[in-house]
Amino acid sequence: MAETAAVMEQRKPKKSSLAKRNTERFLRNKLAVMGLLIVLFVVVLCLIAPLLTDYDPAKISLSERIQAPSSTHLFGTDKIGRDVFARVLYGGRMSILIGLSGAIGGMILGVIIGSFCGLYGGWLDSFFVKVAELVSSIPQLLLVLVLVAIVGQSMRNLIFVFIFTGWIATFRLVRGRFFSLREESFVEASRAFGISNVSIAFRHILPNCLGPVVVQLTLNTAGFILQEAALSFIGLGVPSSVPTWGNIMDAAKEIMVISNYPWLWVFPGVAIALFVLGVNFFGDGLRDVFDPNQM
Amino acid sequence: MLKYFFQRMLLLIPMVIVISLLAFIGLELTPGDPLTAMLSPDQMSSMTTEELDAMRESLGLNDPMLIRYGRWVINLLKGDLGISVMSGSPIKDIIKNLLPATIILTMVALVVSTLIGLILGIFAAIKQNSIVDYLSSVLGVLGISIPQFFIGILAILFFAVRLQWFPAQGRTDIGLNFWQSLKYLVLPSFSLGITLTAALMRHTRNSMLDVLNKDYVKTARAKGLPEWKVYTFHVFRNAMMPISVMILLRLPMLIGGAVVIEQVFGYAGIGNRLLTAINASDYQLVLIIILLLSIVALFASVLIDLFTAVLDPRVRLGSSKNQGGA
Repeated sequence: MAETAAVMEQRKPKKSSLAKRNTERFLRNKLAVMGLLIVLFVVVLCLIAPLLTDYDPAKISLSERIQAPSSTHLFGTDKIGRDVFARVLYGGRMSILIGLSGAIGGMILGVIIGSFCGLYGGWLDSFFVKVAELVSSIPQLLLVLVLVAIVGQSMRNLIFVFIFTGWIATFRLVRGRFFSLREESFVEASRAFGISNVSIAFRHILPNCLGPVVVQLTLNTAGFILQEAALSFIGLGVPSSVPTWGNIMDAAKEIMVISNYPWLWVFPGVAIALFVLGVNFFGDGLRDVFDPNQM
Repeated sequence: MLKYFFQRMLLLIPMVIVISLLAFIGLELTPGDPLTAMLSPDQMSSMTTEELDAMRESLGLNDPMLIRYGRWVINLLKGDLGISVMSGSPIKDIIKNLLPATIILTMVALVVSTLIGLILGIFAAIKQNSIVDYLSSVLGVLGISIPQFFIGILAILFFAVRLQWFPAQGRTDIGLNFWQSLKYLVLPSFSLGITLTAALMRHTRNSMLDVLNKDYVKTARAKGLPEWKVYTFHVFRNAMMPISVMILLRLPMLIGGAVVIEQVFGYAGIGNRLLTAINASDYQLVLIIILLLSIVALFASVLIDLFTAVLDPRVRLGSSKNQGGA
């Protein structure tokens, strides 16, 4: 027992030194740190929305229609008198939730299918490769559009559609890593020890895929937030009763609004751009940490 | 080369078949059938269930699904795309009027943003770590982070409303000469292409830097080749490979983005019609548009593939080993 404990002790500092080195490498990348700060800033603002504003994002006040930004209404009010600042904050919660949960769901699905295909190969593998090729050849936005049209418009359905269309990149990544790592000697050694395939896959190979998978997660989150905004903007994303960044910008379909009431669409637009920018910088930084060769 | 071209085209056939099958299944899953499309609700309610059934039988709507699918495909191939429930006009006419506009919009965006993205990316790679490089990498991330429709709205505000250089919205065919219709194309294609430009710029830079570190580039320089020759013949040609893969991946996104951009600019293309059709539950029209746009995406990807094959002999030799450098 004492011996194992000693071995464990020896192991621990090594592990943490790798983590430390990676953290240091990440912190040296100024853009990446800035990205992380932007993401945290936006997320925190959205989460503490009730502390920042007393307005209810859904409360209609016809006496205060289309007011320019002022001290009472920081970002002004929209066509039916709702406070735009409150709507941008509460809408951010929804947009981030949709983007993140779609990306996480897609990641899990992609990792599972990818590991099974990478481990077993054969007809299962060729089937999913074909499916992936097919789904990715159809313009994704169109696919989402049709699925939303068929299953109906709701936040839950949108997340499901994102998961259904978003597993492919992760799948390809994990499958590719499995194919190359499967031949490595540490896998052969595990096999010689009689460790089961499933255990090899999830304990030994999968941890080696996690870096690129996390990078892909950031890319997908950014992509889904942009897609949700686009879909809601054209009126086919989240139902307009739920505020999201895209739904708020819905107003900017009229030239009159575009030229005369910019505060109705500039603030949510900047919020999307800022958040996605942060996620992208963060993702770029992570990629450099996990895969220094790619620089 | 020709053999490679035909091989790629043959590979398209199963893809198109599966996509059309999916479109057909989608059509089956949506409420209503051709009968409800043909008859008005009044006519429907005045007929008994037996009469309706007899009509279904005579139209072949009760046949097994595969047979109906076969008939549907044959009709499509004959050019009979059915009738739009929403407007009552043949879908063929709608497509013929609107699809070219969308293809032109997408093509212009693709070509212009590819050129600009490549040039900026090459420049950034050659002047690595200069202020140009730094600026372009910031612009690159900005370009892929700002929603396309937001860029479109900003473009309308600045270039159409304030400066009045270009029309804000609309596209009309009648009585316009080439230059006038070009004016309607500038802002939409700019907004549509900016994401691709940014993505390509980033990718080109990285791909170029990657190749610049290869031994054969050092060899070429050691031989005393002038820099421009090194860049044109050794670096650029090899760097193009991952870049064309990138364009391939981004192409479907471009076509999807066209639907949104058409909505922003009120551009009369097929994407705009797609949205009205979805809102009107005109499913036959919806699925035919999706089918056509997917086929357009597939064909375009084959063309880019061929372009890659011209550049890189490994691609065409990989698939047809017995054929030399054709």
